[in-house]
Amino acid sequence: MKRTAIVVNRKPGGPFEPRPRGKKVKDLNITSLIDILTILLVFMLKNISMDAIQKNAPEGMLLPTTITKDELIKKGLVVNVKIYTDKILFGMDNFRIGSLDEFTSNQEVRKNLLSLLKIEADRITNTGSIPSLLIQADKELDCRYITDFINFSASASFANIYFSTIHTDNLTEVLGL
Amino acid sequence: MAHPPSKSRNLKKKEPRSLNLIPIMNLFIVVIPMLMTVMVSVHLAMIQITLPTVGDEAQVNENEEPPPRIILVLQTTGFEIVVGEDVEEEIGLLEAEEQFGNFDYESLNNRMKSLKEQYEKQYTVDILPDPSVKYDTLLKSIDICKFNGFQNIKYLTSSRKIYRASKK
Repeated sequence: MKRTAIVVNRKPGGPFEPRPRGKKVKDLNITSLIDILTILLVFMLKNISMDAIQKNAPEGMLLPTTITKDELIKKGLVVNVKIYTDKILFGMDNFRIGSLDEFTSNQEVRKNLLSLLKIEADRITNTGSIPSLLIQADKELDCRYITDFINFSASASFANIYFSTIHTDNLTEVLGL
Repeated sequence: MAHPPSKSRNLKKKEPRSLNLIPIMNLFIVVIPMLMTVMVSVHLAMIQITLPTVGDEAQVNENEEPPPRIILVLQTTGFEIVVGEDVEEEIGLLEAEEQFGNFDYESLNNRMKSLKEQYEKQYTVDILPDPSVKYDTLLKSIDICKFNGFQNIKYLTSSRKIYRASKK
C-alpha cells in the first residue's frame, strides 16, 4: 500500500477535508531584540552622569586633553567661566562679559567682571563653602589671557582654580606620539 | 474485564506559554531614549592649580634639607627646567612641523620622571608660561607633571623673567 505524507482531518464517516492553513498567526520572536536592548541599557547606565558640570561640555570650544584629573575640594562650590577665542561667558547662565580684547583693555568690562566674581565669592562664602573657579578655555587661547584671568580672580578671593579638560586614559594622546 | 480507555488519550498537548514581553518592551522604549539624551560621550575632568602664597616656605622641616624648587618655564621655543637656581635643562621644539604642537612632550615626560626619582619628596612644580604659549601646551605640561607625581602645580603669574645662569 502506498502511504502519503499528507495529514488529513477525516471525521469518521465524513468526507475528506484538508487541514486549514494560514489561520494561525505566528508570534514575532523578539528575544534577540530584548538581548540587544538589555546590553544597551547596561552600557548607558554605566555612562550616565548626573553632574551638570561634567556633562555639559561647552559648545564650540575645543578643550585640551589630559590623563590626570583632580577632585573638587571638600565644601567647594564652583563658579564657571568659559573663555572662548572671541568672548567670555560667566556662570551657568552664560552671561556675556565681552570679548578678550575688551577684557584686556576696557576698564568698564574688567570692573563688571570683578564685581561679578566678588558677588559670587561672597555668596559662596556666606553658605559656608569655599569659592572655587572652574575655567573652561579653548585650547588655542594664548596663556596671557589665562594668566590675566587668574590674577584677576585671585583678587576676587578665588584661591582654588581649576581648569576644565577632556579626560582620556591614553598617555600617548597627551604626549602626541 | 476490560480497562477503560486511558485518560491521557484525551489530554491535549499543551504548548509552552510564551512570555509576555510587551511590558518590558514598553519600559525599554521609554528608558533608552531618556538615557541616550543624558549619556556622557566625553568625560570632562578638572585640573587643579594653586597660586603662590606667602607662607609656602614656612612649612619646610628645618631638620631636613628641603628639595630644590623646580620651575618649568614654557617658552615659545620649548621648555626650560630650572632646578634650584640653575637652568638645568632646555628642551627645544621638535623639528618636524607636523609634530604635535611642535613641543617635545615625550622628552619633558622623561625629564620629569627622572626629576621625581631624584627628588622624591618634592611634590610641587612651579609653572611659568610665556604669554604667547598656547593654553593647550600649558595644560599638557601640567598634566605631564601631575602624571609623574608632582601633584601640586603652582601657577606663577608674575612677569619676572628667568634668565639662564651661566654654568661654570
